[in-house]
Amino acid sequence: MGRRRRPVDPAAGARAGALPEAIAALSQSLPSGPSPEIFRRAKFDRPEATPALWQLLFRVLAPLPLDNRLASLAPEVQARLVKSALRSQGYPRLALAQLPEDGSQGSRELLLALSWLLARGPVLEQMLAQTRVPLGDEMTVCQCEALASPGPPAPQVRAEDPVDVRHVQWLMGKLRFRWRQLVSSQQEQCTLLSKIHLYTSGCHGDHSLGHLSVAEAEMLRDPEGGQQLLRTLECENRRLEAVLAWRRTELVFWRWMDTVLDTCVLGVPAAASQGTFLPQIPECSGGVLELVAWELRALQEELQEAAEHRRAAWEAKAGGCGRGPEWSAVRRASREAVEKELGALRRCWEQDRDPAQPHVPHRLVRREDGAAGDRDLRAAEVIRTLRSQEACLEAVLHQLQGQCRQELARLAGALPGLIWIPPPGR
Amino acid sequence: MLPRDCSRRLMAELQGALDACAERQLQLEQSLRVCRRLLQAWEPTETRASEPPPGPETNEEDPSPACAPSPQDLKELEFLTQALEKAVRVRRSITMAGETDKAPSLKSRSTVAPPGAIAFAPPQTPGQAGGHASDTRPTKGSCQTTVPPKGHSERQLLSLGDKTRVRTGARAPRPGPGLRDQQMAPSAAPKAPKAFTLKEKGHLLRLPAAFRKMASQNASLWAQLSSMQTSDSTDATAAKTQFLQNMQTASGGPQPRLSAQEVEAETGRLWKACTLLRLRMREELSAAPMDWMQEYRCLLTLEGLQAMVGQCLHRLQELRAAVAEQPPRPCPMGRPPRASPSCGGGADPAWSPQLLVYSSAQELQTLAALRLRVAMLDQQIHLEKVLMTELLPVVRATQLQGPPWLTLCRAAHSLLCEGGARILTVLRDDPVD
Repeated sequence: MGRRRRPVDPAAGARAGALPEAIAALSQSLPSGPSPEIFRRAKFDRPEATPALWQLLFRVLAPLPLDNRLASLAPEVQARLVKSALRSQGYPRLALAQLPEDGSQGSRELLLALSWLLARGPVLEQMLAQTRVPLGDEMTVCQCEALASPGPPAPQVRAEDPVDVRHVQWLMGKLRFRWRQLVSSQQEQCTLLSKIHLYTSGCHGDHSLGHLSVAEAEMLRDPEGGQQLLRTLECENRRLEAVLAWRRTELVFWRWMDTVLDTCVLGVPAAASQGTFLPQIPECSGGVLELVAWELRALQEELQEAAEHRRAAWEAKAGGCGRGPEWSAVRRASREAVEKELGALRRCWEQDRDPAQPHVPHRLVRREDGAAGDRDLRAAEVIRTLRSQEACLEAVLHQLQGQCRQELARLAGALPGLIWIPPPGR
Repeated sequence: MLPRDCSRRLMAELQGALDACAERQLQLEQSLRVCRRLLQAWEPTETRASEPPPGPETNEEDPSPACAPSPQDLKELEFLTQALEKAVRVRRSITMAGETDKAPSLKSRSTVAPPGAIAFAPPQTPGQAGGHASDTRPTKGSCQTTVPPKGHSERQLLSLGDKTRVRTGARAPRPGPGLRDQQMAPSAAPKAPKAFTLKEKGHLLRLPAAFRKMASQNASLWAQLSSMQTSDSTDATAAKTQFLQNMQTASGGPQPRLSAQEVEAETGRLWKACTLLRLRMREELSAAPMDWMQEYRCLLTLEGLQAMVGQCLHRLQELRAAVAEQPPRPCPMGRPPRASPSCGGGADPAWSPQLLVYSSAQELQTLAALRLRVAMLDQQIHLEKVLMTELLPVVRATQLQGPPWLTLCRAAHSLLCEGGARILTVLRDDPVD
């Protein structure tokens, strides 16, 4: 298993030689990772390893891009945020919550926390993907990030004065204007992008790509920037190699972590105080659950109505049909087919990893014939999907607006002596 | 006036939406800057070194700069550009006979540039430090154009152009090919090379070898990584699971309850379920069954979908109960759970190089426009729900009569039913005596 670069270690057996390799790979693949020495010290709970591990955990848990606000927080605040983040992810050990935040002790616990995160998911790969250098012109098909709100709102308290509803109208108008701006800017960008691709077709070394991307053309136009790009690319390649090396050698790391866990003193006091003050965010998942509940209930009503209607129509039409054996065989076959389809549908949302991967950014490539490989997406198909999504969303919006119209008509109708003239339709 | 907490929530939501749009607009404009610059004539490498590095503050092509050039200046600059181009054309026709077509020779340039010569910076390339005759090197086709000074006014206006960073449009006609240096005697005239444009010479570009090597290494490493992830070694997975279990048992803490992240993930799955079910329902309802067997299948599907929705609701009740009894602390650092109904929001797999192939500019535009439209619809629906939960109770509750209530009603109608686009009219119907 694995390649062993050094001769068999006489003291600890053949496997031990792979551990430093694994730890070195891990430390190289982490952004500004701590030196392998820190890991070793942490096993023995040495205090000097603690600050580096707090910082590392913060880097791993904080959302990227790491803006100045987060990066410039004091170490104590960072430690507190780390604790809170770990708890929200369900970190089982209570000892972490009790660690002092000044970085004076607890390196072993922090090492355990780091390993816990690494064991649960592809943390290193995700971090790499977030800081990736995009060489091509990229587009994510799924637009959930396109207009996502930029992180938690600024901590300053907004004006809490009561607001006139006309101010709300004005803001809405402003939003509509920004939408229109976005549309026209987007159109222009597509035109330009398409031109750049067209004009540089045929000059890329990689024939599957065929033309340059904006980043590549920019590199040619501005050699200094190009050097910068090259350096960043080199760094990324090194980290990629480190992660691959880590994946090859990580088994021995996990065995080692088991020993670290064993050295921990059991008998942590059960009742840990969870009363540390934590910065709150205004939105909590309770609100989202309510929205989902609302949607599901609305959907249920629609389905109920439709299904009952169809069932009644069916009974009326086919109720008189014979109940011969062939009829029941056909019915069974239909039932099985429908069950299979619906089962596939269910799998779509139950498994986390969507095979279509619409979230992964794809590199835009212009080809006259539009030919695409197996794993590539074709624009025409994506357009179809998006159109159906658009239709669905429009239906939802109209339905909501219709509900409001009815409600407002009811409320306004209570007031006699007024004529309400709706605005001219589209 | 709306009640205080209602105002606060509405403001927060609207401001969030506005900020999101602003951020996206910023990204687009940045990208547009780069693209426009690429499509114009490329500046030579020499002047690039002296170009001030564009920081985030110096928005050179800011569409609405604080120091907006006055329309007067713009017009003058436009006239001057045209006059200069005309002069060049005239001169070229005069000296056409004497000039031969030579490859750009560079050495004689420096001797020739008289002190008064200015590098004619076309107004489309702002930010260039105009006013120094520059050399070019035979880089990949970058070249320099020069023109003799035409007097003081020109220099003034060009420096004005620099200061105000005027852009007369990305696709304004570029200075015609081969503005020649007219100061030199025709016999010794080296050819001023044509301005390099992507349109004419783009297909001649070649990426440097070092970059190509590094980029292909990068692509292959990513591919290795993603294939390694999908075919995870069972030994390592087993070791990890074992470790996690050990952690759990060694913690001595309470039984694992649902963490905030798990609730979020589950909620996301339910969202996705809702969307998929709804889409499927629409498909079934819009399909016209041909025969009774299809009708039967359609009926079964609808009933099946109904059952699935029921199951989802049941799961949601369970989640709600779990959340209520032990409210999971929300993560203060993560993104607020932006539940968008159109996307499932699954776990992020590692990136792997994949392509999105398009075949024409039209197709790309349609694709991008649709994508933006879906995102905007998402946002609009979210706002609609927020407005409904906030405004309708206010309208119901107010017992005002007369103009204030009418204002509120009209505003509510406009926001809720017309997306803020149109406003209805209210007429008082005075009874005729």
